[in-house]
Amino acid sequence: MVTKEKLKDYAARLMFDMDDDGYDRTLKEFEVIEKHMDLIGKIDGIENVEPMTFPYVIYHAKFREDEVKESLTNEEVLANSKENKANQVKVPKVVL
Amino acid sequence: MKTILDYRSYLDEKKVTSEELFNESISKAHMYQEKYNSFVTILDEYNHKESDSLINGIPYSLKDNFSTKGILTTASSNILKDYVPVYSATAYKKLQDAGGILVGKTVLDELAMGGTSTTGATGSVKNPWDQNRLIGGSSGGSCAAVALGIVPFALGSDTGDSIRKPASFGGVVGFKPTYGRISRYGLFAFASSLDHVGCFTRCVKDAAIVTDILKGHDERDMTSLPDENINYTDMLDNDIKGKKLFYIKEITDPELYKDAGAITLEVLDKFKEAIEKCKKIGFIVEEVSIDEKLLKAIYPAYMTISCAEATSNNSNLTGIPFGPRGEGNNINEIMFDARTKGFSEFIKRRFILGSYILLKENQERLFKNAQRLRHMIVDKINSLFDIYDGMILPAGGGIAPTFDEEIDRLSDRYLILENHLAIGNFGGYPSITIPSGFVKDMPIAINITGPQFKDGEVLNIANKIEEELGYKGLIKEEYDV
Repeated sequence: MVTKEKLKDYAARLMFDMDDDGYDRTLKEFEVIEKHMDLIGKIDGIENVEPMTFPYVIYHAKFREDEVKESLTNEEVLANSKENKANQVKVPKVVL
Repeated sequence: MKTILDYRSYLDEKKVTSEELFNESISKAHMYQEKYNSFVTILDEYNHKESDSLINGIPYSLKDNFSTKGILTTASSNILKDYVPVYSATAYKKLQDAGGILVGKTVLDELAMGGTSTTGATGSVKNPWDQNRLIGGSSGGSCAAVALGIVPFALGSDTGDSIRKPASFGGVVGFKPTYGRISRYGLFAFASSLDHVGCFTRCVKDAAIVTDILKGHDERDMTSLPDENINYTDMLDNDIKGKKLFYIKEITDPELYKDAGAITLEVLDKFKEAIEKCKKIGFIVEEVSIDEKLLKAIYPAYMTISCAEATSNNSNLTGIPFGPRGEGNNINEIMFDARTKGFSEFIKRRFILGSYILLKENQERLFKNAQRLRHMIVDKINSLFDIYDGMILPAGGGIAPTFDEEIDRLSDRYLILENHLAIGNFGGYPSITIPSGFVKDMPIAINITGPQFKDGEVLNIANKIEEELGYKGLIKEEYDV
């Protein structure tokens, strides 16, 4: 059974929060999807079908050659960062 | 109404320069922006690389979820509101190399999730045929830019129907080729197993021209198809006599919609008229029946698969590598703040749903059953494509809704009629929407979907039907300047 508290926990795991009303609306959405997914589960023979992860089987996947490709210059990288220091991108402290 | 080939002849006859075309496009884009809101960014710099392709010197637009080096790319989300990419999508590169002139980046539903073009961070896109109505989505800005006559073609992306549905509301052609025909490198991923790149144009021939430029293997997209030595534009006039099309009874039978409004019944009536016209020019068209339970499951299965894939694909949006940095005392707080502020509630709800679907205890019942259902639908449609060259259906059950109309895609009556275009994504089929007339002065459309890899054949069928229906190059009079 999905509850508002559980939804808040899922949101926290996804690293965001929202207004209380938002969780109410999510709960309603869940009920509709659950109802429909229950119907899907009851379709004859569905348990014998292989789940499909792509539109068709991809046969042509191959390893590419290990070739040196163009990459960004130091200037381009720094131009794209909001904070930088000593020719390096400044990021928040990760190791606490 | 101007097509790519019209522009081509003006340029070749030196009646106009490509810079003049660019200036005309951006001045129209600015003129219509306040009223219709097609663009996130309108460029001011003319940037042209000469080529001998048919689109050389011709303006176009890109949906704002294609990565464009040095040009703001927001996906209409606040979490990317200041993001300027350092690399370009393959599709964009190919258009630039072919001499296309980028005019601007167009509005979409936030992160391409949605079917209304009302959820973008910079506001709703309005329908050029009636500004009280929406244009559909998620590629609504690109659709409106073509429908307004700002550009003759624009790129979009299509995960459930995000090109083909808005095209039906905007009176333009919307085409997505076979999954993998056009590289997805640099297109922001929504649901990778369903995402397609495609285009909006004013006629089928232009869709073939643009696809001929965009198609091809890309080593940066492992799902892109190998090159074929086929030119779709050359196939457009092939003889179609004796080609077989089918439509699905459970979607098109007016008896199923007895309580529906007059608009739905008129749409279905006009669909039957279009079928008669197809027969007149030599198509064999037959009605087939598909288990309604399967068809009703399309939308819930689509939601389940797409939300699950989207949750995972968008986990890189943390405000750390790109987008506005959040506030906080440590890395977790910073990401939490960026994601809380950066996503709208609509997106958050979809992510929560996706995450729930992927929980270990739910995967079998929800995610895998949706994937199994997808397999059942695709097997059924593939078996029909063993007999038929294509499937023809109304693109939807109505005209573009007004902004205050409640759109309930899950209501029983419209569950199938409004959502069947996702079949094209489940099977990665080439699928095209073309205008087929008007109801209440608003455009309506039919959709033609064909077997995987048969892009040229689908364009050929659509081109012949377009000729017969006579709604090529629709544009509302006031924009035809």
